[in-house]
Amino acid sequence: MLFSSITFLYVFLPCVLLLYFLAPKRLKNTVLLLVSLVFYAWGEPKYVVLMIASVFQGYVFARLMEKTERRAVKKLFLILSLAVSLGLLGYFKYAGFFLESFASLTGLSVPVLKIALPIGISFYTFQILSYVVDVYRGDVPAQKNILSLGAYISMFPQLIAGPIVRYSDIAESLEERSHSLALASDGIRRFVLGLAKKILIANTLGELVAAMTTARDVSVLYFWLYAIAFSLQIYFDFSGYSDMAIGLGKLFGFRFMENFNYPFISASISEFWRRWHISLGSWFRDYVYIPLGGNRVGKGRLLFNLLVVWMLTGLWHGAAWNFVVWGLFFAVFLIAEKYFLGKFLEKHRVVGHVYVLITVVISFVIFNATSMMEAGFFLAAMFGAKGYPLVSGEFLYQLGQYGVVLILACVGATPWVKTLAQRIPKKLANVLEPIVLVLLLLICTAYLVDGSFNPFLYFRF
Amino acid sequence: MTDKAKQIVLTAVMAALVLALSVLCLFSPLTEYSLSERRSLAGRPEFTADRVFSGQFASDFERFTQDQFPLREEFRALKSATSLYLFRQKTVNDLYLAEGHISKVVPWIEERMIEHATERFRFLQETYFPEKTPLLAVVPDKNFYLAEKNGFLTFDHAELMETLREALPAFSVTDLSELLTLEDYYTTDTHWRQERITHVADFLAGQFGRTLPQEYREVPMHVPFYGVYHGQLALPVKPDVISYLENPTISGLSVTSYDSGAPESVDLYNAQKGEGKDGYELFLGGSHAVLTIENPAAEGELVVFCDSFGQSMAPLLAQGYGKTTLVDIRYIQSAMVGAFVNFEHADVLFLYSTMMLNQASVLK
Repeated sequence: MLFSSITFLYVFLPCVLLLYFLAPKRLKNTVLLLVSLVFYAWGEPKYVVLMIASVFQGYVFARLMEKTERRAVKKLFLILSLAVSLGLLGYFKYAGFFLESFASLTGLSVPVLKIALPIGISFYTFQILSYVVDVYRGDVPAQKNILSLGAYISMFPQLIAGPIVRYSDIAESLEERSHSLALASDGIRRFVLGLAKKILIANTLGELVAAMTTARDVSVLYFWLYAIAFSLQIYFDFSGYSDMAIGLGKLFGFRFMENFNYPFISASISEFWRRWHISLGSWFRDYVYIPLGGNRVGKGRLLFNLLVVWMLTGLWHGAAWNFVVWGLFFAVFLIAEKYFLGKFLEKHRVVGHVYVLITVVISFVIFNATSMMEAGFFLAAMFGAKGYPLVSGEFLYQLGQYGVVLILACVGATPWVKTLAQRIPKKLANVLEPIVLVLLLLICTAYLVDGSFNPFLYFRF
Repeated sequence: MTDKAKQIVLTAVMAALVLALSVLCLFSPLTEYSLSERRSLAGRPEFTADRVFSGQFASDFERFTQDQFPLREEFRALKSATSLYLFRQKTVNDLYLAEGHISKVVPWIEERMIEHATERFRFLQETYFPEKTPLLAVVPDKNFYLAEKNGFLTFDHAELMETLREALPAFSVTDLSELLTLEDYYTTDTHWRQERITHVADFLAGQFGRTLPQEYREVPMHVPFYGVYHGQLALPVKPDVISYLENPTISGLSVTSYDSGAPESVDLYNAQKGEGKDGYELFLGGSHAVLTIENPAAEGELVVFCDSFGQSMAPLLAQGYGKTTLVDIRYIQSAMVGAFVNFEHADVLFLYSTMMLNQASVLK
């Protein structure tokens, strides 16, 4: 089920809130678990069993690890749990890709696997992985109540598109949490703003991106317009979804970590990745990069560590070569910044901003391509190597059609709006805020009632 | 307002709004048909285990809540207004407003569609009247008069005409764009106004050496005509007035439809339909697979292959012939036409709009 749907906003959510707040305290986690299973089963009736099985194995192995004192046995349980989690993720997400790649590399005839990707499998698998590793390391005690663990893994606000919430971050809230008017109203505000980012900005820019696939009068600037529009679309889509998740979390008494922090204002790629999909970046740092040795290794090993982490980051986003290249593309810039570029960028912030914007926009062309060949074509066209004119009638038309939304998106991707809002006198802001939020909800509802274009990019991950 | 007051107001207003819309959405009486969109709305989906596990129930339920949402028309208008006036977008659902008209952006000629249409036309000509040179009259979409000068994408009409002439060497291809103006079309609909096309009827009849009466009486319908674009745009745009033309010759015409296989008498002007869901069905009661118009005051036969533009043109052309047969190959296979129509002594006219040619996959 999409947050940005009439069914979620006006059927599922009101019912869930009523059930949740009517339930006694000791049953709140059970209610959360059950409604989350309904939420998941709505779009994926079959795969809810897979998610339950994943939760179950995580629960059992974590409990077994905690019960044993022997390091080797503990490690064995950890390895078994990782094998099950990664095995399921590998089978459902990557098996087809690896087989296809193997076949094309060797020329051998390999059976084609057509396996549907269970929604959110990358997100909930990473949550289970972090949980069992944290229990193994002794950072958190194993959860004794499987319903509470189930509620954590499957909690619908963050189930299908994150943020990737660490068990350690919400373990206390799972046992004991408070609900308040302040938290609820803050949650509502965050949810509605996220909804507006998704529906009004991301979906509208998505139409511009989709128009490129049927364009006939293309030009160099049209390819750039497409690349910029997609970069903004994916930012508003994903950060909007994270805002909705964080807002919903607050309604249920949880405080999820922030997932985005104005990534487009970064002056280096390292900074960009500290601001973009923060929960994924920190996950790879804590569970892959640091265990590999992190920075405290020789130059060659550091290079290897960075390449592995970024290749995996790319692969996490999708089972295709363009995602691998996308990850490694960032690795190249991160390595360059680590060794020589970083100091230059620190001294020349303006150059850094331009460099980040161009690099990120190019990266998303690779990200959104259906193949490396298509990515190469688009990039060549952007840099004038395909012989297209600089400007075309269709480019100008689309600029007119989406110009205002593009400007709003560019401004909204910076902290300017927040800064401006903070300058409004407090009393006036308190009057304006409910009015603006109600209007935004009504406009978003109008777009949902009339709209058929409502893709959600991160569903594929 | 204090922080506490804001929190109370925000939470209470949002809760009340969502709850009210939620209750209305789930428990209001169902609306079966959307007049503005001219389509049936989704009803409550059937709840069965099979449908739940296949995911069908979920997708049907999504459609149900979307279609049966309270104040649906008002929300649709809000969306259009936001897109056009707040985000300054040029179109909503590909529709735009210019010079008092609503029109739809048609940016490209769909070559495959044109190929399909011309292939069908050649088949008809080669199969039923290989010795004749039929006339293909092309009605421009009103974009032709609106789009370019108002900054909207549109296809090259001249290029389309050239393509048609090249693909149909056995036809005489005529472009009606110079005979028409924007004012000849309804402001909220795709079609032309019958009261404004008598000169086009004269021209077409003249191509076959026929003359038509020049005196008409315009009879307006007394209910507003909301054209097909009106509902799609969902904004409060002034409706049209739909009128039909009468004179003694037209009054003497009798119309027979063969849609059911057997001859069935139908009205030349169906006032009841003219006041119904689609006012343009005033003309001949809508589209028919095969329909004849008998005129005791004239002789000779005319066969017209046409789309809906032909419905309002047919009563005018029928004044010049003893029998006019309308064939709409959206509703009858081209290979079946011979069973209903005799072409031996007939003039043959193909009357198609560019809009239909550009989506010709529906031509059978």
